[in-house]
Amino acid sequence: MTLFIGASLVALAVVLFILQPVVKGLHASLERDEFELTDTEARKRVALLALRDVEYDFLAEKLDEHDYRSLKAELTAEALAALEADEQAQSGAGADEDELEAEIAAIRAGLGAGSVCDACGFSNEVGSRFCASCGQAVAAEAAG
Amino acid sequence: MNKNGRFMVGLVGVAAVVTYLIWTGVSQTMVYYLTPVELMARVEADPTFHEVGVKVSGQVIKGSYARVQGELLHTFLVMDLVDESVTFPVEWRDALPDTFTDEVEVVLEGRMGADGVFEATTMLTKCGSRYEASPEDLAG
Amino acid sequence: MTILGEFALWIALPVAAWGMALGFMGGRTQRGDLVLSAERGIYAVFFLLILASLGVGAAFLGDKFEYWYVASYSNRELELFYKITGLWAGQRGSLLFWALILAFFSSVCVFQNRDKNREFMPYVAGVLQGVLLFFIVVLLFAEVNPFERLAFTPVNGQGLNPQLQNYWMTIHPPTLYLGFTSFTIPFAFAVAALLNGRLDARWIQLTRRWILTSWLFLSVGIIFGMRWAYEELGWGGYWFWDPVENASLLPWLTATAFLHSIQIQESRGMLRVWNMSLVLMTFLLTIFATFLTRSGLIESVHSFAQELKIAYIFLGFMGTILAGCIVLILYRLPKLQSENRIESFLSRESAFLFNNLMLLGFAFAVFWGTIFPLVAEWVTGEKISVGPPFFEKVNFPIGLVLLALAGIGPVIAWRRATKRNLRKNFIIPISVLLAVGTTLWFSGARHPLALVTWSICAFVLTIIGIEFWKGTRARARIEGEGYALAFMHLVARNRRRWGGYIVHVAMVMIYFAFAGAAYNVDERFHMLPGDVVEVTSPFGHTYSLTYEGLTVSLGKGDRNLLWQAIAAVSVQQNGKQKPLMTTEKRMYVTGDLPMTEVAIRSTIREDLYLILSALDDMEGAVNADANAQGIDLQVLIKPFVGWIWFGGLMLAIGTFVALWPSVDRRRVALEARSDAAAEPAMAGAAD
Repeated sequence: MTLFIGASLVALAVVLFILQPVVKGLHASLERDEFELTDTEARKRVALLALRDVEYDFLAEKLDEHDYRSLKAELTAEALAALEADEQAQSGAGADEDELEAEIAAIRAGLGAGSVCDACGFSNEVGSRFCASCGQAVAAEAAG
Repeated sequence: MNKNGRFMVGLVGVAAVVTYLIWTGVSQTMVYYLTPVELMARVEADPTFHEVGVKVSGQVIKGSYARVQGELLHTFLVMDLVDESVTFPVEWRDALPDTFTDEVEVVLEGRMGADGVFEATTMLTKCGSRYEASPEDLAG
Repeated sequence: MTILGEFALWIALPVAAWGMALGFMGGRTQRGDLVLSAERGIYAVFFLLILASLGVGAAFLGDKFEYWYVASYSNRELELFYKITGLWAGQRGSLLFWALILAFFSSVCVFQNRDKNREFMPYVAGVLQGVLLFFIVVLLFAEVNPFERLAFTPVNGQGLNPQLQNYWMTIHPPTLYLGFTSFTIPFAFAVAALLNGRLDARWIQLTRRWILTSWLFLSVGIIFGMRWAYEELGWGGYWFWDPVENASLLPWLTATAFLHSIQIQESRGMLRVWNMSLVLMTFLLTIFATFLTRSGLIESVHSFAQELKIAYIFLGFMGTILAGCIVLILYRLPKLQSENRIESFLSRESAFLFNNLMLLGFAFAVFWGTIFPLVAEWVTGEKISVGPPFFEKVNFPIGLVLLALAGIGPVIAWRRATKRNLRKNFIIPISVLLAVGTTLWFSGARHPLALVTWSICAFVLTIIGIEFWKGTRARARIEGEGYALAFMHLVARNRRRWGGYIVHVAMVMIYFAFAGAAYNVDERFHMLPGDVVEVTSPFGHTYSLTYEGLTVSLGKGDRNLLWQAIAAVSVQQNGKQKPLMTTEKRMYVTGDLPMTEVAIRSTIREDLYLILSALDDMEGAVNADANAQGIDLQVLIKPFVGWIWFGGLMLAIGTFVALWPSVDRRRVALEARSDAAAEPAMAGAAD
């Protein structure tokens, strides 16, 4: 007898639990979460990650300067495109070269600043031997 | 595109190597898997069958097991699962697996000798518990 | 309770059907109420399956032998532990257990995603309910109902096979099932993505974490199985290329391939059809694995007796899924194709592709070798058998190439590697490889396969070691940190990469251990008490083993135990006394012949493995006859076996590192809104 009651209760509970949304009009959300990564945002992240990896690899001496520069140029262009696409997707405006530079600068800040040229004050990348701005020899220092 | 063409070639090449490995692997290592009835028939038909490695499945005949004292040698008789009159003797020169019982089903790999005795090199016994007992067995 | 459990199983049937229907309908019509109902349905099915499982457990604990399943796998004397775990001791209960674990993961998935990935969830719920429905239908209608009753109640059950009465054996199925069933979740997401067309970058993230988690469970499950075989089967072996073993390896291989090729999709947007296919195939292979085990179609020490009904049902299910997947992929083909191409043979993309080819080739060889006997019989009528020689012959070369790739991949550059890059990064590792190879050769270790394997192991270890070293040093310099701290931060900043490297190190350890089998020692002795035998290890030292004698204890220990005959062997290594080892024969109430318990002494270099193969005179020994103390002792020395288990541990650690969640995206997004700092972009990208 108790078994019968128990079984009925279980069945009833389950059925009510499942039917309630339909009967009472309770809805689960089907909308994309505002915090969810969009496709363009994901691509942007990947591009920036690739850039950061390249910086790291260069600093870890896995890439020599030549490979580093050519890879970086390529990845920078892609990152720019990804950034632009993301900006457009989000606000409809175009991306800035400046914005990209800001992102890259932030990456570098995360990695540590390079050496400042004595002659012209330009902030060079880590490991640079010649200033990228004026061409003077630069003391290759580690981050300060 | 040139690059693409080269990739396809590489891909096909690797696939070809793997296929070749598998092909020769199978042909070189496969063994016939026979019942005692089939085994006896082949041995009769082809005298050189003694050279060939085979796999045979059958059942150990109750009471046929004997252990040669002092030597690492076990002997027993195996019969066909379907036609129980077809039997042959087996010599096994290794430790007995734990699941070896009086009427266990075995899968033997080895060679049928010219003397009619099967020299087994590997032995698999069917894991007993996996047999789903019939209700009659349980009633006992 | 048991009857309630049976009832619960029956209720689960319409609930799962309802959930499946509503999930798909809700997704199609975009009705949130239908979807909510479907998702609740998943929780409901989980609840009902818990009740059903508890019902089976109660039957075991209550010695309810009127249930066929309980009578077949238990008896009154069985230890409590094995009664509790009786749920998965046999075919029927383990099917229910599979469904239970699947329902668990489904509930976790639904719960985790109650606020996110909402576009996918309707179809995800539908697919999960569909798979659950399949298993419930099988349980209820394919004559494998664990609640089936006999026409009478036996006085006592048959008891559990003693070989299954072992800790490892009990843990082994659950860990494997955790691996197998969890692959259903990424499968569900893949199908959902194909249905709703959201095949973009988000899908990658979703899928990758689940697959990595499932992969972890499956890896651990496989290694546990190996450990069980090693300890319990008493032959000193840990892998036999048994069809069921092979079947568990197949999804592992395809999942490993996915974990690599997904990185190409992530960075270059390529291989989308390929990756999607890998996810679908992995799930299919998990179903294939359970199909193989249950249908008994292929000879295996594992397989249940041949049950054709189940075989056909599973075949039908797999066929339907395969057909459905093909249709879906073709349907979405336009969206999946990409314009990018691989630029160069010498690039990381290329290495990953090659890795995938090798893994799939390996899987194909294993698959083919496993089903070949079946196919051959069907085609030619002749029965053939394909055994370990085949698998070793084909898989060893492929395995070695894979090992080498594990070293090459991390170092070769993305897009295109220049000759400079190659020279720079490979010169030291290759030198190490040659040095190790030469040293081994000259020190007498000339077994070709072992030599090559160990040399490549050194190669990979060198590369990964250098990676860690360079990375740590670079970071230490830049951040001004100590090396220990730098190392930890380095790993934390890019968990996926460094976690992956740790897993590669683990694989090196495992290969290293496998190669040790080339130098296995196997000797047999007949001994009387007092006899001393000497066995020399490949490392040069000698063990002196003295058979001290037999101790027989009656009826102690496990309640199903009749007697134990324990052979004590004292061990001296090069004269130094080592701990006593005991190996025994145990006779259980439910067995006909005694079972063997081996003795293992593990050190870093090797395992000393003793097997009491036979008692000269079993009757006499049990009756404590002083003249019946002779034994056959088998002595094995297995170099480096311990490294398999240690490698397994490393593998788990590495995967944990890779899985460890990074910065919470929401918190990041909120911060980014309040202060437009650039840092979050960095931190977030560290995922």
